[in-house]
Amino acid sequence: MTLPGGEISSRPLHFFWIVDCSGSMVGDKIQTVNNALDETIPEMIKIAGENAKAHLFVRALKFSSGAEWVVKDPTPVDQFKWIPLDADGVTDMGAAFELLSEELKMPPMPSRALPPVLVLISDGQPTDDYKCGLRSIFNEPWGKKAVRIAIAIGDADVDTLKEFIADPEIPVLEARNPQALTRFIKWVSTAVVEKSINPPSKLPGEKGHSGIQISNDPILEKSDPETKSSTEIDVW
Amino acid sequence: MNQLFEKGQKINSPVGLEYEILDFLGSGGQGEVYLVKSENKQYALKWYFFKQASQEQKIALEKLVEIGSPNNCFLWPIELVYSKDNQGFGYIMGLRDKKYKSINDLMKRKIEPTFYHLISACYNLVDSFYELHSKGLCYRDISFGNVFFDPKNGEVLICDNDNVTVNNSNGFISVLGTPSFMAPEIVRGEAFPNRNTDLYSLSVLLFYLLFISHPLEGKRESNIHCMDTRAMNRLYGEDPVFIYDPNNLSNRPEPGIHENAIIFWRIYPKYLKDLFIRAFTKGLNDPNNGRVREIEWRDGLILLRDSIIYCNNCDAENFGDITNINNEKKCWQCQNSLEYPTILQFSSSNFIFLNSKSNIFQHHLDHSFKFDKVIGTMNKHPSKNLWGIKNESSRNWTVQKSDNTQVKIEPNQTVSLKNDLKIDFGEIWGEIKSQL
Repeated sequence: MTLPGGEISSRPLHFFWIVDCSGSMVGDKIQTVNNALDETIPEMIKIAGENAKAHLFVRALKFSSGAEWVVKDPTPVDQFKWIPLDADGVTDMGAAFELLSEELKMPPMPSRALPPVLVLISDGQPTDDYKCGLRSIFNEPWGKKAVRIAIAIGDADVDTLKEFIADPEIPVLEARNPQALTRFIKWVSTAVVEKSINPPSKLPGEKGHSGIQISNDPILEKSDPETKSSTEIDVW
Repeated sequence: MNQLFEKGQKINSPVGLEYEILDFLGSGGQGEVYLVKSENKQYALKWYFFKQASQEQKIALEKLVEIGSPNNCFLWPIELVYSKDNQGFGYIMGLRDKKYKSINDLMKRKIEPTFYHLISACYNLVDSFYELHSKGLCYRDISFGNVFFDPKNGEVLICDNDNVTVNNSNGFISVLGTPSFMAPEIVRGEAFPNRNTDLYSLSVLLFYLLFISHPLEGKRESNIHCMDTRAMNRLYGEDPVFIYDPNNLSNRPEPGIHENAIIFWRIYPKYLKDLFIRAFTKGLNDPNNGRVREIEWRDGLILLRDSIIYCNNCDAENFGDITNINNEKKCWQCQNSLEYPTILQFSSSNFIFLNSKSNIFQHHLDHSFKFDKVIGTMNKHPSKNLWGIKNESSRNWTVQKSDNTQVKIEPNQTVSLKNDLKIDFGEIWGEIKSQL
């Protein structure tokens, strides 16, 4: 070593995929999710490489009849592997929220970190008491401070997802076809991570905002023309 | 896939050149970057997403193309291009050679430059921003992602120049910058980016490079649990405090967390630290008059590079501090006491600590900032254990001995180092001092 010292001081960014594996996700939907989540890994590694002050750790949780961790331990992104999920059962979103809230306690969360990113992907209505689980998340300081994003597949209960996000400036990302789902997943894994590390600031005269802007994001501009103009809803 | 262009597609420039898409290189918030070729030469194309391809952006780019790059350290827009297959526009620029590494790589300690080359990189960055500002431009978005350097020689490359604008033109803003680099008045939303805010960001960049740490991240940073937007606004904008503010101890670096700041602060000479103290005390809240100017950084960095001394025991680079000579310094690597070597003191009051690798540049003689011309090197006698300064210039030097006789040193001749020897280089004198 020609220079003294070591790496620059950094903070962990804990990223959570929360995936609905209920029976209605069988087929196209779960396959699209599996492929898209697998494809996010190289992009996330690249972003992590470009941000020396953030260490990206990824975890994954699935829920259908009950909930369980797919990857429970915070895994450095360059070691994270996506294990394809199967779909079967009901939609116990509340159970997923409870499990998540346990991991947002301090410990195991450190006292010094970047805002965690929680990404909920669901196609349906919760079949358990999701409000209770949601309260558990918001009871935790890290749960309140987390960036919460929701991707709704097809006819998901948008109101529930809005309650999860709990931020009027962040809309639910409604994926009405596989391409949109893939795009949203990609955007969450890159732009949202980037913005958690380097939040945008306000222009002189502008009011403050939550830091995560979605309406200006180019990804929504690239929506398929049929989706934008048609009144039809795509059905899987 | 959803890329805007496919391989083989053609793009056209208004002057009639045609570029062919070879490969997709990546995308960012504003657009996508492709590898293209034209007439057997390869370039990079940045194509804006349609929403970003505004008239204001186009006019700003045209202005940059017209003004031209301040020096050869910028990856500058060469020309605007259009396509019949996609609406909007893009621009052509050169490619970034793989030898240039990002600041991130230094922060993660994936590259290990010497202090000499690290300081050279700092100097080259300052000099380039000086040239940019001299053209009436301001950079606006200095950050880790757009500054690169070659750790082997300190050459730099500054990228993402499409955000460069004419200073104080507040009309069109597409980016404000990265929070930890932004001047406090910008974080607070009180100002638009301009040359004074560039000076602030430049001092942050220099601090990052020389201390591998941030100037405002000490105890106040480690006391923050969740580093979100509000926390960053307070730390960098509303209540910024330098970690080594002589009058405010509340933000000292925390051992175990901000180790680099602690370690490097012990190593550098006082005059360098004084520049950073000013940059992050007066400079925090006085954008017009409090910030350290590029010409001050330039002089400080050259002096810093000329103060490098090698530990006699382990050969690590340390720094001599001519303003603090009574402080006995120890080598940072092996803790041996540092022996101060011979100094060449110029009549201009600049000096060089002489070691086997020292170079005397044209700049040392005339303050011209010309470093491409080496006019003196250190040379060992072929048979005796004796070092001297070799005349690498094309003119004679005159040396005055202690008995006042004069000796001519012709080009390629070497004069041995002897205490109190005076060398007349032509433009100025230098005196050898083997003891302080």
